[in-house]
Amino acid sequence: MTTLNLSFYSAFTLSSLGLAFHRTHLISALLCLESIILSIYVALSIWPIQMQAASPTLLPILILTFSACEAGTGLALLVASTRTHGSDHLHNFNLLQC
Amino acid sequence: MEISLLLNTSMLLTLLIILTPILMPLMTMTPCPPTSITHYVKTAFLTSLIPTTLFMYSGVESITSNWEWKFIQNFKIPISLKMDLYSTTFLSIALFVTWSILQFALWYMASEPHITKFFSYLLTFLAMMLLLTSANNMFLLFIGWEGVGIMSFLLIGWWYARAEANTAALQAILYNRIGDIGLILSLAWLASTLNTWEIQQTIHHTQTPTLPLLGLILAATGKSAQFGLHPWLPAAMEGPTPVSALLHSSTMVVAGIFLLIRTHPMLANNQTALTLCLCLGALSTLFAATCALTQNDIKKIIAFSTSSQLGLMMVTIGLNLPQLAFLHISTHAFFKAMLFLCSGSIIHNLNGEQDIRKMGGLQNTLPITTTCLTIGNLALMGTPFLAGFYSKDLIIENLNTSYLNSWALLTTLLATSFTATYSLRLTIMVQTGSTRSPSISPINENNPTILNPIIRLAIGSVMAGLIISSLITPSKTPPMTMPFTTKMAAILVTAMGAILALELSNMTRTLTTPKQNPYSNFSVSLGYFNPLIHRLSSTNLLNSGQKIATQLIDLSWYKKIGPEGLANLQQTSSKMSTSIHKGLIKSYLSTFALTILIIMATL
Repeated sequence: MTTLNLSFYSAFTLSSLGLAFHRTHLISALLCLESIILSIYVALSIWPIQMQAASPTLLPILILTFSACEAGTGLALLVASTRTHGSDHLHNFNLLQC
Repeated sequence: MEISLLLNTSMLLTLLIILTPILMPLMTMTPCPPTSITHYVKTAFLTSLIPTTLFMYSGVESITSNWEWKFIQNFKIPISLKMDLYSTTFLSIALFVTWSILQFALWYMASEPHITKFFSYLLTFLAMMLLLTSANNMFLLFIGWEGVGIMSFLLIGWWYARAEANTAALQAILYNRIGDIGLILSLAWLASTLNTWEIQQTIHHTQTPTLPLLGLILAATGKSAQFGLHPWLPAAMEGPTPVSALLHSSTMVVAGIFLLIRTHPMLANNQTALTLCLCLGALSTLFAATCALTQNDIKKIIAFSTSSQLGLMMVTIGLNLPQLAFLHISTHAFFKAMLFLCSGSIIHNLNGEQDIRKMGGLQNTLPITTTCLTIGNLALMGTPFLAGFYSKDLIIENLNTSYLNSWALLTTLLATSFTATYSLRLTIMVQTGSTRSPSISPINENNPTILNPIIRLAIGSVMAGLIISSLITPSKTPPMTMPFTTKMAAILVTAMGAILALELSNMTRTLTTPKQNPYSNFSVSLGYFNPLIHRLSSTNLLNSGQKIATQLIDLSWYKKIGPEGLANLQQTSSKMSTSIHKGLIKSYLSTFALTILIIMATL
């Protein structure tokens, strides 16, 4: 595959694995989530240029919108968990198990 | 004068004379006393001799159709009465026997406060029975059939304060009802297939289908107490002795056999039905005779003897000889009614004692009654040239010379010898030997009200066989030639049974106590039939009813298939998925890693 594809795939994979394997702090997971969105944004921006098609040019703007909402929600969850549990450690959420 | 007009008129006059004591009190509001009811029946008997002699003189038969019920467009039900051999002869015999029984009942039920009601019940029964025998279509026959069933119920439970009497009456109704299902099946088949209920129109030239014949045989099994639906007849002895004498010996129980005689053209060409009748009759006669061997109640012995003779009549139907069966019905009525009247006289004189082990030596104190008892027993056994001989010996000769099931033949011969045994046992224990009854009861037979009926029936028992068989023309030629042993077969087995009874009675006199063995237990407990069937069949029926009603409909259809079943299904899946939802973030995040790995694998 081309260099561009490889860079996009590897960025996405590394970010997802980072989301899965960061066990300590919630903020590291949120950061990885942001990098997933970033890699998708970059891929969506490059794609219409490569395909020479003009219609999907709108998509990165939509992704940005959703990413902003999502980041806001994630940070709100971070603040809420810090307020109730005192820190953003992920093992606090294990108290939800039945 | 026109003979058929005379026949019809005298027949209808007889029936009107019978109906008058029932209808007059309804219209004039004055009850009819029992003695005048007896006179009515005597007049009716004398009037009924006119159609009988007319028939025997000229052989004229007629059918009278009165009003017609226009049921639906092409199915009309007339009220038609048929006067042929069976109808006219049975009319005279039934009226003769009823007259004697009513006269006897004047003495037997003299202390009964509701004696008028008793007599009117007996008269209603008689009217229903005569309707049954003179009916030409199945509809009238069914009305008479149900009528005699209802009157039997009312009369068996006459002393309704007795629990056993009520149970016996209910038992009679239940068993008769099972037979009625067969009759209704035949009626429905006839109405739907042949579009008629007239018996003349039901004759097939080819083989009749077996289904309606099975229905008729079931009806006869129920009404005439063949094996399988027989327990009601010995239980029906709970009624007063006149009831036993009229209903359950001469008249009602022969209604089933009479039905088969009337519909005999349908039966004649279906060999399956005939063989079924033969084997059923043979089984009934043997079973009843076996049960009668060890009974100790005098009325029950005579009841089982009736059941055995009914089996013999069924055997005759199975031999395709309806006229001979009718001859046996006629002669049997005389001596069986007389046996019941004698037993009633003995019971009343011994102040209510019915156990033959507590009777003895009555030959000296009740000479006329015991003489007639002996005559009746001899006639029952088929002693040559008494009444029973002309029918019973002919039946056994026909049985021996026919091409039929040999098991039926052997059982009938065995039952004939048993007949001799229990009749002789009855005679010996009641009449001879030392007196085993308490000596307080005043025994006399001075009353002509009791003597005249018994003597009249005794004369009938002696002469009726000869008179009836010489006045009617047989429809089938009797067998004329057979080997000597075959000819003597009936008398030989009877003699063997009698000798056996004499030998056994010697044993009782010498105080040889009988040991219990399986055969005597079988006979005493009536073949274990009653407890087995009464408990098993009702348990099975009620159990299956409960299964259908409660478990199938209520629990299954309304609950399991509907709301409860759905809830159960959801519960199962929830239980399964609860174990997966652990609430651990680690496992949730690991699913992301799994997804990435899968995506990597597809690239």
